[in-house]
Amino acid sequence: MNFQGRDIISMNDLTREEIDYILSKVPEVQNHPEKSSFCINKVSAMLFFEPSTRTRTSFEVAMRNLGGKIGGFYDANITSAVKQESLWDTVKMHDGYGFDVIVIRHPLKGAARVAAEAADIPVINAGDGPNQHPTQTLLDLYSIRQTQGKLDGISIAMVGDLVNGRTVHSLTEALLKYENCHLVFISPRDLAMPRSIIDKCVKASVERGVSYVEGSRIEDHIADVDVLYMTRIQMERLQERALAEKFRSIYRLEASMLVDAKPNMKIMHPLPRVTEIAQDVDETQFAYYFQQAKNGLLVRETLLALILGAIT
Amino acid sequence: MKDRPITIAKIESGIVVDHIPAGKAFLISQVLGLNALARKTGDIIAIGINFESQSLNKKDIIKVENLSLTRNMLNVVALIAPFATVTRIENGRVIEKHKVDVPDYVGDIVVCPDRFCITNHEEVPCKFAITAKNPLTMRCHYCETEFFGPLIKYKEKSN
Repeated sequence: MNFQGRDIISMNDLTREEIDYILSKVPEVQNHPEKSSFCINKVSAMLFFEPSTRTRTSFEVAMRNLGGKIGGFYDANITSAVKQESLWDTVKMHDGYGFDVIVIRHPLKGAARVAAEAADIPVINAGDGPNQHPTQTLLDLYSIRQTQGKLDGISIAMVGDLVNGRTVHSLTEALLKYENCHLVFISPRDLAMPRSIIDKCVKASVERGVSYVEGSRIEDHIADVDVLYMTRIQMERLQERALAEKFRSIYRLEASMLVDAKPNMKIMHPLPRVTEIAQDVDETQFAYYFQQAKNGLLVRETLLALILGAIT
Repeated sequence: MKDRPITIAKIESGIVVDHIPAGKAFLISQVLGLNALARKTGDIIAIGINFESQSLNKKDIIKVENLSLTRNMLNVVALIAPFATVTRIENGRVIEKHKVDVPDYVGDIVVCPDRFCITNHEEVPCKFAITAKNPLTMRCHYCETEFFGPLIKYKEKSN
């Protein structure tokens, strides 16, 4: 399998075999004696039209750890975008500056696909609005595989804002490529998993033995799952502030709720967290979200090494 | 039945799109860009509405005095009129007759209904994959939104 020069825009572009291949390469990159010179003389263009903390920092550190350099911008307000330069032109220009890869985050859906079509060099989507964030999904899958030893047959509960959260949509669609997964969607009715995703679960239940259930209480499912994937109630997307506060108080995980959890159970979260995981959970054996964020660095290093042809 | 002798004259060379559901001919003309084609080439285009039909009760019909419309271009007719037939006529003789097929992909003839899609903010030509034929469902190549029914809105071709 050869990823050199390939765009990473959407999880929908990757087959199960390709996902497995990328994840299998993570330990190889981490333990490689020449890792720090993998990307010497390579430069990554960071086109961040929208704020980012973890994704941006981890891509920067990943590139530095591989011996490469970075350029670009982190605030669209200081670019010609304020002069209404099109995304196409901005990408074309960076494409011609001698960069080797573009990492793009943009508030609009589909922007990364446009960038990939404009650029000759490979493009990695670091989040295109509420659509895709493939490196987040890859790090989620890597974290599940690291903690459970498999992806087939895992039982996972996704909790919180399932209507607006792109990470849970993308993770669900990725897990539907695997066999016999059990998915539990826990949310208030107003923030339930969209119908289009549920339809895909129904289809996969026939084709790949996937089962799913929708619920509204975390407590009902904690004892049954291998992974508890918490998400933030997105205040900025809810019209009624009082409603958001109410949901936040209901969908809050505390250490005392974990007494019946399976020993292998791990709590994950794409971060940032607000109030949905109490700090006393951090000290339990189940907390995995900070390691999960760290895994993001390892997965991004691996992707850059593959795309830039340092490894095959 | 009352005799209603209005017909559209035969064409010597061109394409006849028949068995269009009544009231859809103008939409098809718009999606195929026939207005613009007529302005450019001077070809005659006849649009008939509410003709009697045995299978559809009422039907529309379009005759275009132009042979450059390819089978692929005409397949977009299937999105609006799944039972339409296309007849190609040359020198007054039928040289080909076929039903339209729903294409796997459509180009810049539909507007993406997602207001956060890049195609609604910048000059990016739309592209869609057809993910289901019944009900007709499309998936935006850029924002990956799937939609069907009244969310499918066609663009008017200006050139």
